[in-house]
Amino acid sequence: MPEPLGRDRLAEIAHAALEEGGSGGAEALLLHEWGGLTRFAGSAIHQSTAREETMLKVRVADDGRIGIATTNDLTAEGAAAAARSALETARMSTPDPHFPGFAPREPALEPPDAYDEATAAAGPAARAEAVASAIARTDPAFRASGAYQTQGTEIAVLNTEGQACYGLTSRASISAVVSGTQGGAGFAEAAATSADEVDPAAVATTAFEKARDSESPRDIDAGIYEVILEPPAVATLIGFLSYLGFGGRALAEGRSCFSGRIGERLLADTVSIYDDALSPEGLGIGFDFEGTPKRRVDLVEDGVVIGGVHDRRSAAMAGTESTGHALPAPNTEGPLPFNLFLRPGAASRSEMIASIERGLLVTRFHYSNVVHPPEAVITGMTRDGTWLIEKGEIRHPVRNLRFTQSIIEALRDVRLIGEQTQLASEFFFEASRVPSLLISAFSFTGKSDH
Amino acid sequence: MRRARPADSTVRVGARYPTRPVLDQQTRLDVSRRAVEAARAAGASYADARVVAREHETIVVRNEELEGVDRSLSEGIGIRVLVDGRWGFAATARPEEGEVERTASLAVEIARASARLPGEPVHLAEVEPVTDTWATPIREDPFVVPLAEKLDLLMEASRRMRIAPGVSFGEASLDLYRQRTAFASSEGAAIEQTLVHSGAGIEATAIGEGEMQRRSFPNSFRGHFSAAGYEHIRGLHLLDEAERVGREAVDLLSAPECPSIETTVILDGPQMVLQVHESVGHPVELDRVLGMEESYAGTSFLDLGDRGKLRYASDHVTITADATLAGGLGSFGYDDEGVPAQRVTLIQGGIFQDFISSRETAPVLGLPSNGTMRADGWENLPLIRMTNISIEPGEGSLEELIADTPDGILMSMNTSWSIDDRRVNFQFGCEAAWRIRGGRLTDLYRNPNYTGITTEFWGSCDAVCGPEEWQVWGTPNCGKGQPGQVARVGHGTAPARFRGVRVGVR
Repeated sequence: MPEPLGRDRLAEIAHAALEEGGSGGAEALLLHEWGGLTRFAGSAIHQSTAREETMLKVRVADDGRIGIATTNDLTAEGAAAAARSALETARMSTPDPHFPGFAPREPALEPPDAYDEATAAAGPAARAEAVASAIARTDPAFRASGAYQTQGTEIAVLNTEGQACYGLTSRASISAVVSGTQGGAGFAEAAATSADEVDPAAVATTAFEKARDSESPRDIDAGIYEVILEPPAVATLIGFLSYLGFGGRALAEGRSCFSGRIGERLLADTVSIYDDALSPEGLGIGFDFEGTPKRRVDLVEDGVVIGGVHDRRSAAMAGTESTGHALPAPNTEGPLPFNLFLRPGAASRSEMIASIERGLLVTRFHYSNVVHPPEAVITGMTRDGTWLIEKGEIRHPVRNLRFTQSIIEALRDVRLIGEQTQLASEFFFEASRVPSLLISAFSFTGKSDH
Repeated sequence: MRRARPADSTVRVGARYPTRPVLDQQTRLDVSRRAVEAARAAGASYADARVVAREHETIVVRNEELEGVDRSLSEGIGIRVLVDGRWGFAATARPEEGEVERTASLAVEIARASARLPGEPVHLAEVEPVTDTWATPIREDPFVVPLAEKLDLLMEASRRMRIAPGVSFGEASLDLYRQRTAFASSEGAAIEQTLVHSGAGIEATAIGEGEMQRRSFPNSFRGHFSAAGYEHIRGLHLLDEAERVGREAVDLLSAPECPSIETTVILDGPQMVLQVHESVGHPVELDRVLGMEESYAGTSFLDLGDRGKLRYASDHVTITADATLAGGLGSFGYDDEGVPAQRVTLIQGGIFQDFISSRETAPVLGLPSNGTMRADGWENLPLIRMTNISIEPGEGSLEELIADTPDGILMSMNTSWSIDDRRVNFQFGCEAAWRIRGGRLTDLYRNPNYTGITTEFWGSCDAVCGPEEWQVWGTPNCGKGQPGQVARVGHGTAPARFRGVRVGVR
């Protein structure tokens, strides 16, 4: 199996590039990923892959002009060639008056226990075994599908200001969908630094039980319902809110749904959201793609929108300092938070269900997308287990519904927050650690046939 | 006003490609063959290998300032094997001696690990192995056009978008792709292909009180892409439309919301791209139908038995998958299994005819593959991907179609898409809409969207515009699979009319 190249080797490669930099200096971003992903469908492995990938992105400043080149050739010659390409591009470009310079030398903290060697080195047999243990928890009449992944990642950022960051992480993750014979479906997922902390059998059991319990779903009218959103559904709301609201550049440019609304109490006073890449409960690294150390950023405190995250460019626009949330250059989106936390509450699942007169329990959403950015309105479908709750009890599964809903209004109408949190991913976003939410009014605007 | 000028005015050639591929074409094919031999020696009953070198140049200008130029290269090898009827796939960024053999052995080890679990063995549909070369026909290599010329174009487009007072951002972008592939298989295929794709677009953004509106040209999401060289960029005439695009973005700010009603809808060509893509292109993928994508992107409402029987759409609708279409992003000589490019009828006069398939999936229908397997680079295994999925033209111009519509709404260019995991219930948003009254465009509406059920919606289609309105468009951002893959696919579309559509979902 591939192994980490190591801090020193990545630094050597970076220096081969930095030596070719322009009059304004240079920056080298290096990425090395290796691992495997085993997909299963119809309760059998159908696609199993492994790969090792490298990337070097060189950003060069020359006389106020910026050039970028990217290669996956990590030889010294390849690195130098990429730097020369970036310099050549810079010299043909126009000056960038907003370039804030490269990150200064500053130590970055590392999240504790971010790397497990055995997980990063896991081979196909271990992944197949994990999948087998998941499939074994499913009734043979049901279909199990999903993916189990193990991965190691090294990231390094070095620049001519003397900044040098290095991060080494591992991750194991599984997602499972189990489908029944009468239209039932269930979903569950788990992710952690170490494969030892991910239990494929437990994940599959949850997915199977949901599939079993959602067999023969009934038709239900669209409309406004009280809802319990389980963590994967909450992660959709938080992920899209992150994209639409908390980017420092979007805030400064008036594109954010929170532009001009910082300091206002827009959400329920029980809602607090923050970004913390250094938390042991997350899956972050200690610096961003410009080499700025990450810091915890409070985004919403007791319902009040505090602000957003910054890279060096947006920080200069806002007259503040980078919070360490730069994405790889070039990007017009600006910085975004990817290690989001929604503060848990005190409600148990049974308390939530018992408190609902008539409402819906939603496992997760599917293929959500933005409808109206200024009000953070998104649309999407329920999937893999939705139930009607009446008089404090789960009555029966229902067919999938389409929602069209402002995230801001949904989080304003939060009535109860779950006591447990879970790392949950969204179709397009990184994992967030979130609890379940009980929202008093959630708008379902259509329905499907399954 | 600042204009793009090279720092050194003597520099009038395109940037050399210091990050140009490490391997030449013949070496790439030799490496692929060596990988196949190594896989066979390790125990594979079938093996194929692709050495791929991908170049991408991207330029973004916003408000006459250069946001960034990035030139990238990624090169490596992906090796796919069958052992005991089970797949294994491994890929490495270092296609060098020793590493290629290690990767081939890893692919075999992966297949053997998969075979420990029960499962149906894979049987590949027959294909004639060929030795051939194929390249996208281009007239002007986009990578040697001077950067300064590209910057001039984007800077001027950005400037013109902002002539209209109230435009917050005028963004212009350009993307160029070149992919060189050397494919070899244990059946004896040896295929070299070079694909070139070029695209550019402009987008104006206007921000008002609690409102933000965007207008794009020629299409949203980075513009109009084609399997072509720089001649495609020159033919887009971005500068001619830039001022109008800016003006329409500002006009949308004060336009009323699209009403919430049920009405007749005409979709323009770019929005038809999205409609065809999401509600025909994905549902007809045979791997989805067989459940192979169930846990992630989902399945399909179609069943194997629907071929030749299911009424998918009205009589006006005929849809094809054509990998031979000139200019289509889904055009190639051979797919990533070495199957030649084909034209397949998917829907004929509203009746569903066929799926798009692969060598693994086609045998369930007793058919050969219709050649739609493509991988995102060297690092991913091929999946069934749309080629160029097109609605065949009907009759008449858009102007005539509007004139034939007493009351309705014309919707233009996509902003948002969402569809359920069986591709049944969809809701799509557009940039702009105009009310049609008495056969004429009247009021402009902002935030238009519409929703429907796939077969009901297509069943309500009562007109498709003719060849004069029909155009091949590119979708550069089609996602599928785990690990996630992005494909560039094509769609030929013309404006079309649909009856009884629910619009203005809020």
